[in-house]
Amino acid sequence: MDLVRDVLDKRLMDREDCEMGRVDGLVMRIGENSQPRITHIEIGGRTLWMRLHPGIAKLAATLARRWGPKRTTTVRIPWSHVVATGKELKLDVEARETGAIDWEIWIARHIIERIPGGGHEEEE
Amino acid sequence: MRTKRLLVLSLILAAGCKPPTPAEQMDSVLSWIGTAGMAGDAWLRHTTPDTYTRQTFELSSKTLGQISKDLLESPPTMVDPAALDRVLSETSKRITRMAALIGAKNAPDFARQLDSLRNDQKTVKALADSIEAKQ
Amino acid sequence: MKKFLQIALGIVTSVGGFLEIGSVATAAQAGASFGYKLLWAIFIGTICLIFLVEMSGRFSAVSKHTIVDAMRERFGFPFFSIVLLGMVLVAFMVLVAELGGIGLSLQILTGIGFPWWAIPVSFVVWLLMWKGTFGLIENGVSLLGLVTICFVVAAVKLNPDWHGAARGLLPSLEGDQKAKYGFIAVSILGATISPYLMYFYSSGAIEDEWDVSYIPINRIIAVFGMSFGGVLSMGVLVTSALAIQPNGIDIDKFEQVALLMTTALPRWGFYLFAVSMLVACLGAALEISLAISYFFAQGFGWNWSESLTPSKDARFCFTYTVIILVAAIPLLLHADPIKVTMISMALTAATLPLAIVPFLFLMNDPIYLGEHRNGWISNSVVGIVILISFVLAVISIPLQIIGG
Repeated sequence: MDLVRDVLDKRLMDREDCEMGRVDGLVMRIGENSQPRITHIEIGGRTLWMRLHPGIAKLAATLARRWGPKRTTTVRIPWSHVVATGKELKLDVEARETGAIDWEIWIARHIIERIPGGGHEEEE
Repeated sequence: MRTKRLLVLSLILAAGCKPPTPAEQMDSVLSWIGTAGMAGDAWLRHTTPDTYTRQTFELSSKTLGQISKDLLESPPTMVDPAALDRVLSETSKRITRMAALIGAKNAPDFARQLDSLRNDQKTVKALADSIEAKQ
Repeated sequence: MKKFLQIALGIVTSVGGFLEIGSVATAAQAGASFGYKLLWAIFIGTICLIFLVEMSGRFSAVSKHTIVDAMRERFGFPFFSIVLLGMVLVAFMVLVAELGGIGLSLQILTGIGFPWWAIPVSFVVWLLMWKGTFGLIENGVSLLGLVTICFVVAAVKLNPDWHGAARGLLPSLEGDQKAKYGFIAVSILGATISPYLMYFYSSGAIEDEWDVSYIPINRIIAVFGMSFGGVLSMGVLVTSALAIQPNGIDIDKFEQVALLMTTALPRWGFYLFAVSMLVACLGAALEISLAISYFFAQGFGWNWSESLTPSKDARFCFTYTVIILVAAIPLLLHADPIKVTMISMALTAATLPLAIVPFLFLMNDPIYLGEHRNGWISNSVVGIVILISFVLAVISIPLQIIGG
């Protein structure tokens, strides 16, 4: 499997086919005698901005500390949760529980729902 | 690639800073006299509403005044500055008067002023041509 | 029957949605300053656009990805972020110009200056995005945009010299005023070939759930819709050449463009102009806001459908809300929309390679398109026009700035 072509930057869908973001980074284990293997998928936050420039990552981290869902750790999902690859990667987790859509929920609750006509993000 | 685009961007933003030549300034003057003329014709034919036409005349007059001021600060040597000043300020005043006539809905006087404006236009055009020729 | 209706609707909305302040201002300037001599710029710009729009629809129908989606995947986040930055900055300027266009249309109708209209106009654009569905925006406003056919009616009524006009379809190097000629040519190309249209069409194809069977429909819509649209632009240029140029007017301000149809259509010409610009700029403002928001949402993997209630695609809605609000600010500060238009059109042409080159890579990628990849004609036409645009931009823009 070509990691860059088939995994990195691909869309992620959860158990219920909800958008979970993209594969922004990968954690690999490099063993002495074995092939390198992917252990985790990383989503958002520091991982993403580090790919541009460490300075940007620092700025993003400072902003994230002051505003929004105030998440301090990067979202990491074990590779074992990947059930299908193809046009996007399908995971057998629920998006909410992973923290991958914390920003979406935060903006929905604190901003969008306060505007008339915004609806409620938890309605089905 | 990125630096090239930033360069292009800053050059464009500096676009307002290019000083126009006297010939270009005269073209602008003629353009705004022409605008007033065309708008005036349209108003007499009841094609354009009062407010828009009056505001366009006021804009013409203001713009003309601004260009005249710039032109006469460093007047072109090919023409007599006094003559240029005279015709430009007369034209500008006429356009302002016409704006007021629109407000007063005085079509007959306006039509007369419009004819005079056409004469002003010819005079300015002659001056512009001599500036252009000697540049 | 259903497909026929879809084709008809597609063509009609393409025509109605074609003109906006960029295409009108640049065509009017071209006609006023150079008569028919810049018709070729509209012509080749439109041809390039036909190919680009066809490619955008085909790409999404076959690969089931939007262009932005595929761009992130294929080229990675760092490259994607460069394209994002470039595209969003330029598109944002165009949005300011369009909102300004709506404001100026209201100004000439009411006498109330456009800065006063900045906030109400932004609010209405936002409300349409908030409450509306993709169908409403794509179809509703574009259908209203058919009023812009009046520009062609005006041109025909003025009895153009058809031979002279036909000669204008061939590129010619203008004698004096070369820098200005080049600059307006570049601006016309930037106004006609707008990258935001590609992202908009591609997202639309996904929203409407197109598949391979839509390729022929897509082709017909692209060819006829964009051709007729190009004719509208030419109508503006010809009308300007016949009505405005004889008065020696050089177009600088919207008030001057408003005189465009006052000789051809004495009764309604002024009002038709105001209403046409209002609707055309409104449609464009909606499309650009959507296109910018799609860029962020699709690039970062957020929900983005226009048909969802806002809280279900919160980040997407937040993005367009912020964009529309911020776009009002330059207008509140009295930035002249016509100046913003000319600058943003030239910038669009200068940054076309940034949008189109990655797209051409995608259009030739067998993983996304399989047997439906580009043929040599599509690649060549687009490649050549983009090259011309870029070279012209790099030459003309500094010349226009430094000295005539």
